Amino acid sequence: MVCCITLLVLLGVPLLHNGYYENLFRGILMFAAMALGWNIIGGYTGYVSFGNVVFFGIGTYVSGVLSLHGIQNVWIAIPCAAVIAAVFAAILGVPILRLRGHYFGIATLGIALATQEIVANIEPLGGGTGITLQQAAWFSQYYYAMWLVCALSLLATWLIARSKLGYALVAIRENEDAASVLGINTTAYKVGAWAISATMPAAAGAVFAFSNGYIDPSVGFDVDYNVFPIVMVILGGMGTVAGPVVGAFLLTAINETLWNRYPQVHTLFFGVAIVLVVLFLPRGLLYVFGRSGGWRGFLKSLTAYRV
Amino acid sequence: MELILQTLVNGILAGGILAVVALGFSLVWGIMNIINLAHGAFVMLGAYLAYVLFSAYHIDPFASVPIAFVVMFAFGYLIQRFVINFVVRAPILTTFLLTFGLSLLIVNVALLVFHGDAKAVTTVYSGSNFSIGPIVVPWVKLWTLIVALGITAAMQLFLGRTREGRAIRAMALDIGAAQLSGVRVARLYAIVFGLGAGLAGAAGVLLSLSYPLNPSMGDPFIIKAFVVCVLGGLGSVEGALVGGIVYGIIEAFGSQFISTGLPDAIALVVLLFVLIVRPTGIMGKATA
Repeated sequence: MVCCITLLVLLGVPLLHNGYYENLFRGILMFAAMALGWNIIGGYTGYVSFGNVVFFGIGTYVSGVLSLHGIQNVWIAIPCAAVIAAVFAAILGVPILRLRGHYFGIATLGIALATQEIVANIEPLGGGTGITLQQAAWFSQYYYAMWLVCALSLLATWLIARSKLGYALVAIRENEDAASVLGINTTAYKVGAWAISATMPAAAGAVFAFSNGYIDPSVGFDVDYNVFPIVMVILGGMGTVAGPVVGAFLLTAINETLWNRYPQVHTLFFGVAIVLVVLFLPRGLLYVFGRSGGWRGFLKSLTAYRV
Repeated sequence: MELILQTLVNGILAGGILAVVALGFSLVWGIMNIINLAHGAFVMLGAYLAYVLFSAYHIDPFASVPIAFVVMFAFGYLIQRFVINFVVRAPILTTFLLTFGLSLLIVNVALLVFHGDAKAVTTVYSGSNFSIGPIVVPWVKLWTLIVALGITAAMQLFLGRTREGRAIRAMALDIGAAQLSGVRVARLYAIVFGLGAGLAGAAGVLLSLSYPLNPSMGDPFIIKAFVVCVLGGLGSVEGALVGGIVYGIIEAFGSQFISTGLPDAIALVVLLFVLIVRPTGIMGKATA
């Protein structure tokens, strides 16, 4: 509820005619969409992907290629990026999602790095030098596009969490073998979850390519963009609808403040932030402020996993 | 033919360092079930330690190997005892992210201290080599391989013959039973993590002899170490050694005959191939 109102209020940001705020909030919406995407596979299904930036990268390159062919329209790029990323995820998902735990995590990280290398070696995609995109005169449309991507991602998550699909994913997370015995086609559900989770960062990437005006392999497949969304989901709360959005707001706000004041050491602070979040908020803020958690839950979660 | 032989030799020579990096990674993974994403940062610290000792105190890098091992052991011990230990039994995502955060922290501190420009350790014997027929072997790389084999043998003796080593192997088999027999898990976990960091540091020193140094030089080694562990079979010293050398050869041939720009793609292909064809690794035992 609070989330919906906040989202509606954010629709008004371009009316301020302030470039700084528009950029800032477009960034928050972008990370929120990426975090929501990760949350489907990592939070609900329990498969820790360390390579979801690959879908963001695919999204940026779909926009780039469309732009090279004279289609400079972000509204066409968004659905194209989502569909291509979903197909890519489904094809890769069949072998990759058979791996569990660490193996899945490293394999996805490998996919992200390998895709970046391969893209850098394909000359029609600009190779290492990248692609410059033609931006539209009405720049605020990219803000509205990002808002739409984020809103649709949030809506999709809300619908999934209440559907049979959502319950099946949680069952897979809690005990995959038991879920399989109960008649859930785990492979189909996992691949479906990964394909859905791929659409959100891809759509965000498609918009980002236009708003940024330039892409290359290190922008599209930025390693930081791999990890930011995961930390946001943890900070907000894994496997919750609103958690990723809350996390995206908080972390981007913190990051932005640090970037402004201490540009030299801001990545260092990000490392510290990750360590602190993991050590002190392993279940996320929504848990601490929720009914089942509270202070007692917070203190209990601090000592739950030590030897 | 000459090119193939030369590539093979290059691969074997490079494989020694990979084996030492992977051995530390494999210990931590096999015994504590932690994928240490800061392992590459530890390698980098070892290399910079050799650089500082060499440029400020004129200590030969080969003599820095034991120093780096001890310093990094202490560093790893403290990190495990006072940071990772709090979440060591948490789901894998927690330790994944925690070690990633530590890596980011260490690399950025190194960036502040040493700046981003590439540095090199150039000794008097750096450029010298000898040849057997048409094949050229740099002395530094040969000695690096010999030291790497020595470190591996020493680890094998430690794990096989000492009280701590036996306790560590017992923990890998059955942690509950080990605990009941009086193994102090928290202390031994710290020792294992220290050994992992120490081996990474030693490998970093060896690396500094042949490669330029920069704060993010260790990052590619995380994926490589993982692939070597999968290739050789997790949790065994021989596995890390064989996996390291086999991977060194694969990488040498890949960069010679396919492309130098695709190391991660090659690693991924090897990883997926091994996981599908022989999930227990070359040296691993087949499980029922």
